[in-house]
Amino acid sequence: MAARRRLKAVLIDLSGTLHVEDSAVPGAQEALARLRRAPVSVRFVTNTTKECRRMLVERLHGLDFHIEEHEIFTSLSAACRQVERAGVRPLLLLHDSALEDFAGIETSDPNAVVIGLAPEHFNYQTMNKAFRLLLEGAPLIAIHKARYYKRKDGLALGPGPFVTGLEYATDTQATVVGKPEKTFFLEALRELDCQPEEAVMIGDDARDDVGGAQNSGMLGILVKTGKYRPGDEAKINPSPHVTCDSFPQAVDHILQHLL
Amino acid sequence: MAEKDWKDCIRSLKGVVLDMCGVLYDSGEGGGVTIDGSVEAVKRIKASDLKLRFCTNETQATREQFVAELRRNGFDISVHEVFCPAPAAVAILKERDLRPHLLVHHDVVPEFDSVEKSNPNCVVIGDAADNFSYKNLNDAFRVLIGLEKPVLFSLGRGRYYKEADGLKLDVGVYMKALEYACDIEAEVVGKPAQTFFQSVLTDMGIEPQQTLMIGDDLVNDVGGAQSCGMLGLQVRTGKYRPSDEKHPTVKANGYVDNLAEAVDIILKYRAHSPFLRAWWKAQS
Repeated sequence: MAARRRLKAVLIDLSGTLHVEDSAVPGAQEALARLRRAPVSVRFVTNTTKECRRMLVERLHGLDFHIEEHEIFTSLSAACRQVERAGVRPLLLLHDSALEDFAGIETSDPNAVVIGLAPEHFNYQTMNKAFRLLLEGAPLIAIHKARYYKRKDGLALGPGPFVTGLEYATDTQATVVGKPEKTFFLEALRELDCQPEEAVMIGDDARDDVGGAQNSGMLGILVKTGKYRPGDEAKINPSPHVTCDSFPQAVDHILQHLL
Repeated sequence: MAEKDWKDCIRSLKGVVLDMCGVLYDSGEGGGVTIDGSVEAVKRIKASDLKLRFCTNETQATREQFVAELRRNGFDISVHEVFCPAPAAVAILKERDLRPHLLVHHDVVPEFDSVEKSNPNCVVIGDAADNFSYKNLNDAFRVLIGLEKPVLFSLGRGRYYKEADGLKLDVGVYMKALEYACDIEAEVVGKPAQTFFQSVLTDMGIEPQQTLMIGDDLVNDVGGAQSCGMLGLQVRTGKYRPSDEKHPTVKANGYVDNLAEAVDIILKYRAHSPFLRAWWKAQS
C-alpha cells in the first residue's frame, strides 16, 4: 500500500453529514470553523441531480454554515466538466433547477445526452429523442443511477431505470459521474493540486462516500448521522478508516491524528 | 461457429414463418407503409407447397384489428395464421391464476377482457408507446415493489422498431427499466422466447430444421428462431442496420434485401434440379 502523505484536503458530504433535512448536525458549524483554521483545503461534495450549487449554498447559509459556492463540487459539476472536456453539446434531461450549473454550455443541435432525475422529461417522446442521439454515437452521461427514491406520496423511479433502458436500447454504457465513481473524487481534488493519498472524505453513506473515496486512494471517515444504520461500516471492504459519532468528532480525529 | 448457408437447406424446407412489422410493412399511422413486393411475396409462398405462419411481437392492437388492416392493404392473411404475444400472455395468466396490472397500448387492452384485473398480483408490459409516461411506469413499478415476489411479464423484449417517422423505443427498454428498478428478471412472452416459437411449430406440425424464420430483427427473430433449431434469415428492411451483419453473438443463415428477394430465391431453388441449382448458385 502506498505510504500516506501529509494531509492536504478534506472532502465533506453535505446532506446527512453537515445537516439532516432542515437542521444542522449539533456542533457542525463550529467544527467546520475549527477545521478551516488548520492548514488543509476544504471542499464539499454531494450527489445532487435537482439542486444547483446556488441553491445548496443558500440552504447552508440558512443553517449558519460558512461555505462559498466555489467550494462545492456536485455530481452536476462533474457532468458539466465531462461535457466541457469532451467538447459536446448535450441534450439535458435535468430538472429546471439544475440547469443553472450548465449556464454557458452550448445545447443547440445536441450530440450528447446528460440524464439526471427529471420525471418531466421521462416521457416517450423525449426518451425517443435521446435514444436517436445515442444511436448516432452520442455519449450518455448519467448523474447517477439510483433505482428509486422516496417522495411524499410514496416510492418513485429514479434516473437509474431510464439510464438502464437507454443502455439496453443502444448497447452502450453510460458514464456515471457522481459518487461513488473514482473520477468524481479525483475531479473534486483536481483544482486543489492534491493527490488522493493526501485527502480524506467524511460522509454518512458507507458505500457512496466512504467506499468510493477509499477506492480512489483517499481515507474515508464514516459518521453515524443521516442515513447511517448500525452495521454500515461492515458493508464495505476495506472498512472505513474510522467511524465517528458525528461530524464534530470526525474533525477532532483529523486534527488530532491526521495532521 | 459458421452458420449453415440457408440456400443449402431450401430444398428440405416445409414451412416459412414471417415476422410482420419491418418485413411486410413499416409501421406508422393508418396501417403503415407496405414494403415493396411483400404483398406479392406472401401470395407466392401461399401458392407453393410451403406452410406459412406469421409471428409478431405486435402489441399495439388486437390481432383482429391489425390483420384487418393488413388485409385492407392487400395482404392475403387470416387471424388464425398469426401468432402474437397478448393471447399467449392471457393463456399464461389464466393458467397461473394471476391478475395483471396492464401497461400496454390502449388498442390491445380488449385482448385482456376475459382476465380478472382487480387487486393485481403481477404486471404485464407491452409496447405501450405514448403510454410509456413517467406516471404510468411509476404505477407499474409501485405494483411490483409492493408485491412479496414481483412478477413481470414482458410482451417481447425488442429494443426499438422503425416507424414512418423514425426509430422508436420498444417494450424491452421499459422491461429493462423495471427489472433494474425492482432487481428482478421479467418473463418474456413472445419472440425470442422458445415456447413462443415452439407453439408456432406445433401448429404447423413440422420440425424446426424444416422451418425458415424471416425477420428484420437479428436478435429476436433470427437469433430466437435459431435457438429453437430453426433457420433464420434477415431482411435488409425495417429496423435492419448494416452493423447487424457483424453482430458479436448472432449470425443469420443468410441476408436478403427484402422479402421479395427471399421468396424469389426460395422458389427458384425449389424449382430447379440439383444440377441447375449448383449452376444457379455459381452464377449468383
